[in-house]
Amino acid sequence: MKSLHRKEALSFYIAISPWLVGFLLFTAGPMVISLLTSFTDWDLLTDPLWVGLDNYRNLATDPLFIQSIKVTLAYTAAYVPLDLAGGLLLALLVRPQFRGIGVFRTIFYLPTVFSGVAFVVVWLWMLNPNGGLINLALGWFGIEGPRWLLDPKYSLWALVMMSFWGWGRSMALYLGGMQSIPGELYEAAAMDGAGSVRQFFAVTLPLLSPTIFFNLVLSVIATFQSFTSAFVATNGGPLDSTLFLVLYIYRQAFEFFHMGYAAALAWVLFAIVLVLTLLLLRSQKFWVFYLGERSK
Amino acid sequence: MKMQFRFMIIVLMLSLVISACTTTAPTNPATTEGTIVIRAGTGDGGDGLTPHQQIIMNFEDLNPNVIVQLEPVSGRDYYARLLTQLAAKAAPDIIQIGDDAVPSFVTKNAFVPLDTYLKDSNFDTSIYLPGLLDPGRIDGKQYLLPKDYSPLAVYYNKKLFDAASVPYPVDGWTWEDLLATAQKLTLKDASGNVTQWGIQLPAAWTTGFEYWVAAAGGSLISEDGKSFVGAMDSADVVRAVQFYADLYNKYQVAPQPADMNAFGGGNSEFANGKAAMMLFGRWPQGGFKTNPNISLGVVAPPMDKVRANILFWGGFGIAATSKEPDTAFKYLSYVSGEPGAQVWKDWALPAVRSVAESSGLSNDPIEGVWIGELNHLVPRAYTFTPYWNETADPALRKVLESVILDPNADVKGLLTQAAKDAQAALDKLGK
Repeated sequence: MKSLHRKEALSFYIAISPWLVGFLLFTAGPMVISLLTSFTDWDLLTDPLWVGLDNYRNLATDPLFIQSIKVTLAYTAAYVPLDLAGGLLLALLVRPQFRGIGVFRTIFYLPTVFSGVAFVVVWLWMLNPNGGLINLALGWFGIEGPRWLLDPKYSLWALVMMSFWGWGRSMALYLGGMQSIPGELYEAAAMDGAGSVRQFFAVTLPLLSPTIFFNLVLSVIATFQSFTSAFVATNGGPLDSTLFLVLYIYRQAFEFFHMGYAAALAWVLFAIVLVLTLLLLRSQKFWVFYLGERSK
Repeated sequence: MKMQFRFMIIVLMLSLVISACTTTAPTNPATTEGTIVIRAGTGDGGDGLTPHQQIIMNFEDLNPNVIVQLEPVSGRDYYARLLTQLAAKAAPDIIQIGDDAVPSFVTKNAFVPLDTYLKDSNFDTSIYLPGLLDPGRIDGKQYLLPKDYSPLAVYYNKKLFDAASVPYPVDGWTWEDLLATAQKLTLKDASGNVTQWGIQLPAAWTTGFEYWVAAAGGSLISEDGKSFVGAMDSADVVRAVQFYADLYNKYQVAPQPADMNAFGGGNSEFANGKAAMMLFGRWPQGGFKTNPNISLGVVAPPMDKVRANILFWGGFGIAATSKEPDTAFKYLSYVSGEPGAQVWKDWALPAVRSVAESSGLSNDPIEGVWIGELNHLVPRAYTFTPYWNETADPALRKVLESVILDPNADVKGLLTQAAKDAQAALDKLGK
């Protein structure tokens, strides 16, 4: 009996070991090193110098750090609600079952499989103030389009607009969530005289709330890590109007080679995301409804 | 049990492979006895690799016991990659870097000082055109030898000058001449839309802007490399920024940048025959020469108080981690010496005087202008402090972006603030 237990334990560890090795080498190890690095002054080549909390203290007086937090928060505040609503809208549009609907679902989902850099380059071309598609289209209605990425008042919004490209991802999740809503609930609602609008608010939306919650958490985490669009399209400019926190971390680490300071920035980012995620988890009980859960 | 055992072996092997991947340095290919392999790193890519390959082939023909491996890494990650390779002691033996990276690499002890090698091999460093050794020298020691370089100049399109009957600009012209010429060449249609611009300018290109500052007689940093306040906010710098901004917004002789993030502003007006002049380095010249919209002329940048120019430069050095420094120097003296210059001359400006003269480039009406500009160089700001790129550069960039985007920008106020910001950043780093 004992040997059977041992055998079972052994197979467990063998089976889990690829993940375990990967986790230790590529996640836990680097995290520990990054935490230690954040207490040092290190330029990659000369020996790291222990500076205690200096890196964290310097954050408070670093105007670019403060700017990058502002930009990241503004982007998150604009992007997350739009992503949640846009994905839901798309999901509702492609929800009905009829012949050929798969084609539309594919079309809406397709942009999300493109690499980040490729789609940013396409957007760069569309947003070009002279002869780009968007200003050309605005011109047909007599509107003189803004200078988008060249104008600090519009640049961040242009990046928000670029990210609409990713609605297909949340659409797919919503579709999955909708399919798991039992049909008899709609039948019951219909018998009670609920129209399609009422059905949406009384049945679909509450039962979809776990999916919305899931999307919300993913979106918040992902937007705090935004990097590609600013790195490729604006490099944080003009006038630091698109300086995301992760872009600033990259700049400190790989352009200025302040590895210690960059590590400290990364841990601050981690702390912010952690706190926000915990707050969101806490908020669940007020608005997320799980089917089969006893009503309180 | 047997199954499990086999599975365990596979997992073990897998984890070994994974850990091996993370620690192994790039290895040299199997070599025959006595053959030495050296690796040469470059940030060039695409067509820019052809001269490297040509020079390596010539070198290997002369030195059958040496194999030179070219390792190109193009893009913005080049320096980050080099530093990680150096830290892991896996860097190429020969490393190519650009001017403003030299102080930071040298202070990190990334390069071998070349002076002993130069002396022992009787390498004649006077073969170079003036000013071309300076960017590779720190505190009197030579760490890098030149690869290629470019000062600034003004391109002009003779077709557009002829059509407007405006005389071509000549060496010794002034900022006032530039403005008057650009105004004559800025054309508008009946409804007031600009159909042709006087001059295409390189937007918020900070290093390029040092020319304007130097020409106005100013400096962005104090001689001792410790103060931006009192330099960056001085009257000469204010004048330079104001004049530059006015070309864009007051006189409107320069098109707004097409892409603030692209090198030089991403404009294409000059290439399309829609701008009569363009201030830039020599890099796009090859395309202009064959461009049917353009009949090309090149003239020195205009002077204000001072006849000034600045140098953009790339060079090669030997990595401090190299295990074959002697062979690496042999290749270095070849690629940066006269034999290398014979190949570079077809791709860029050659650094070696005899090559520039024998190929006729020194007297060429276009190339001769670039080479002649080497006599008017002023030191770049990065040579005064190793912290330039992370302190004053972003502050100056912000000023330039502001004055280009906002016609009502307060130049003096912006520069005062920029000098303060840069000073605060420098004081924090230099403490």
